[in-house]
Amino acid sequence: MTFRLALFGLIASAFVGIIYVITEPMIIESKEKARIERLYSLAKPLLTDGKIGNPVYKVLATDAPVSLINPLPVTPIDNDQLQIGAVIPFRAVEGYSGTIKLLLALDLEQRIVGVRAIDHKETPGLGDKIDTQKTDWILQFNGLRYEDLSPTAWAVTKDGGQFDSFTGATITPRAVVDALAETLGYFKTHPQVLEGGK
Amino acid sequence: MKLSTVWLRGLWDQNPGLIQLLGLCPLLAVSNTVDNAIGLGLATLFVLVMSNASISLIRHLVDEAIRLPAFVLVIAALTTSAELLIQAFDYPLYQSLGIFLPLIVTNCLILGRAEALARQEPLLISTMDGIAQGLGFFLVLVSLGAIREWVSDTLILAALPPGAFIALGMLIAIHQVIQKTLNRFRPKTQLSSKERRVRTTGDIS
Repeated sequence: MTFRLALFGLIASAFVGIIYVITEPMIIESKEKARIERLYSLAKPLLTDGKIGNPVYKVLATDAPVSLINPLPVTPIDNDQLQIGAVIPFRAVEGYSGTIKLLLALDLEQRIVGVRAIDHKETPGLGDKIDTQKTDWILQFNGLRYEDLSPTAWAVTKDGGQFDSFTGATITPRAVVDALAETLGYFKTHPQVLEGGK
Repeated sequence: MKLSTVWLRGLWDQNPGLIQLLGLCPLLAVSNTVDNAIGLGLATLFVLVMSNASISLIRHLVDEAIRLPAFVLVIAALTTSAELLIQAFDYPLYQSLGIFLPLIVTNCLILGRAEALARQEPLLISTMDGIAQGLGFFLVLVSLGAIREWVSDTLILAALPPGAFIALGMLIAIHQVIQKTLNRFRPKTQLSSKERRVRTTGDIS
């Protein structure tokens, strides 16, 4: 009977192995497709004459804010000759239910092209309004540069800033706005981080 | 066992979600949207049908000692395959189902059907039972998803974990009311003690 069980194990592993071999190239392809689609919806205005490059990993100095992971994967957007923008992941660690992962697309003048929350566990119906599937709240940052607003205005209305927070959920938008301001402020003083090599 | 009995059991009399109360963890956790519910429902259906069929095929080859490990082996292999296939064909769905996809291995419904039925019934009956029970589970999951997604526009509670319990409780209550009404018109069937063991809600005694 032990022999039979071993045989079952062998057959089961062979079965999974065959499925794995068949699906592996498809999985790699669909992962890449999901990544491109996400970047595409975020950086659409830049992509009329630009295309998405390969991520470059930038090692940041110790003065980098907590909102940026280190090393930082910077995805450049290039047209034929030069870089016209970049997509950078950042995170809001002060979320109501853990860290909120976001993506930020900037053009050459560090103007916001798009911001998206890509992974979060915020309360459904309250904090999850940062998600474009629920509301357009996060689109209000489009077109802004860090110097367009005074540093105190880069906050939610409850903290004296100019960005609306949702009724019943201040912590989530506060975390997002603060992390975004921190990130933009850092790029303002460290523009070389955004360079993708072209 | 008649095929009509198998279907009636899976979809109504011994519905996995409303009577046997099996597989509640994914049922409650993934029913927040219809899309997720459909995805996990189909994945569970696939694993259940395939595991019932394979276990029925190997039923004469396993004895008491290796029964459980052999069944778990079959279910684990099928779940891993389902996970790989979903990753290949619908990557966003794979991401939104998260941990609940590999957790199909621990869904009591699947091992339950293997133990209660597939290990002693021929291939056709076992496969049909897999489809019937899987569909029963799928329908409850999707109804829960639809109710919660619909109500959560006005009542946030529906989208939160307690909302899942309340909505499921109401579905079970509706099932009981309909069953009570039907019983008035249907001659009382004598249940054997073996069948009674499966019930978790309703008339247990």
